[in-house]
Amino acid sequence: MADIVTEAVAEIRRIAREELEFEGAVEPAHDLLRDLQLDSLGLTVLAVGLENRFRVLLSEEDAQGVRTVEDLARLVAARVEAAKPDAGAHP
Amino acid sequence: MPSTTRHDPAPSPSLSAVGRALPPHYASQEQLIAALRDLWATKHFNLERLEDLHRNVQVGGRHLALPLEEYPALTTFQQRNDAWIRVATELSEKVARQALSRAGLTPKDVDHVFFVTVTGIATPSVDARLVNRMGLREDVKRTPLFGLGCVAGAAGLARAADYLRAFPKQTALLIATELCSLTLQREDLSIPNIIASGLFGDGAACVVLRGAEAPATGPRVVGSRSVFYPDTERVMGWDVVDTGFKVVLSAKVPQLVKEHIRGNVEGFLAEHGLVLKDVKHWVAHTGGPKVLEGFESALELAPGALERSWRSLKQVGNLSSASVLFVLGETLEEVDAKPGDWGVVMAMGPGFCAEMVLVRW
Repeated sequence: MADIVTEAVAEIRRIAREELEFEGAVEPAHDLLRDLQLDSLGLTVLAVGLENRFRVLLSEEDAQGVRTVEDLARLVAARVEAAKPDAGAHP
Repeated sequence: MPSTTRHDPAPSPSLSAVGRALPPHYASQEQLIAALRDLWATKHFNLERLEDLHRNVQVGGRHLALPLEEYPALTTFQQRNDAWIRVATELSEKVARQALSRAGLTPKDVDHVFFVTVTGIATPSVDARLVNRMGLREDVKRTPLFGLGCVAGAAGLARAADYLRAFPKQTALLIATELCSLTLQREDLSIPNIIASGLFGDGAACVVLRGAEAPATGPRVVGSRSVFYPDTERVMGWDVVDTGFKVVLSAKVPQLVKEHIRGNVEGFLAEHGLVLKDVKHWVAHTGGPKVLEGFESALELAPGALERSWRSLKQVGNLSSASVLFVLGETLEEVDAKPGDWGVVMAMGPGFCAEMVLVRW
């Protein structure tokens, strides 16, 4: 799961730089709205990019507790885990 | 500098008539979503999110330059632009003839044609092709304007009125023709392009403007004001790429409206000794639901003040520069305006910038 979080942070960095023309640093503790200056369109671009890369669905309900880059990366990792065929099979 | 001030004694040009035309090929939003869904699926995982983006713009459907099934075969910029020249010329002629007929004029009465677009390019420009097709005079002056985008409907009115202040006996046409569907980059599956493909439609409009010394049948253009917002070049526009025009679209557009439009409009009105509540008729560019909501909240407009803009958005989508002229035409024909009523025509576009035009019945 930690690997997926790291991968998700890297993907957020890529989307911010290549698709959102964001030139600043992107760190796990950064606030999506305040530090990355994302607006509604930017958040959509980010969500779509992560859904495509990790083949998961992110809903508005999911996003309720998401504030930072790390929050979002952990949400993606949780969705990836939940989507595995054997998810929940182990105690 | 404003085009006129309240102290300017110069008589004003008038708006005689507005012609409007939509191409005959209509597709509902659901038909368009169905047509694009397979394309989206080549890159995107969550198609429902994309369908929601298309539905959230509150457009019921669009009129298209070509039948829907002909678009996939247009793979190069040349193919799309050739189709643009053909259909843009046909639609432009149609609206110009319609507007002249409504104004009781003929092509020979036209002294100057302003032609605005941002969706295709042609040299000779479309206005030149109209000289031949419509039999305009050989001394007709032509000003083709490319690149103002959505603001060009209002800015074109303002520039045509500026011209007529210098030549008050003359008649000018402002033609705005936009075939947004022919700019669609099928290989661009970015979210801004998907939103644009849900919002923008095709159409053309033509306004007949007459100088102050010609008979006036409609409201007069009392003044205009341009506003440029510094360092906002990436808010909206085109990246011109090998395959044509790739859309640049930012969510900052509604934010800019909310932050600036009230101060801009109040400042403009103050130059004419007016305040917001003096304006009875608002003619706003149909930028999208958030832009219209931004106008309504920033200007504290009465419910229904932008009803014609909302209706136009829902029926035909954002027609770029032609949109505000569609709303202007409906205002001139539907509204029971009294002599002395004030109206404001306003639009915003790439730059980023705004244009406001003050009219009086």
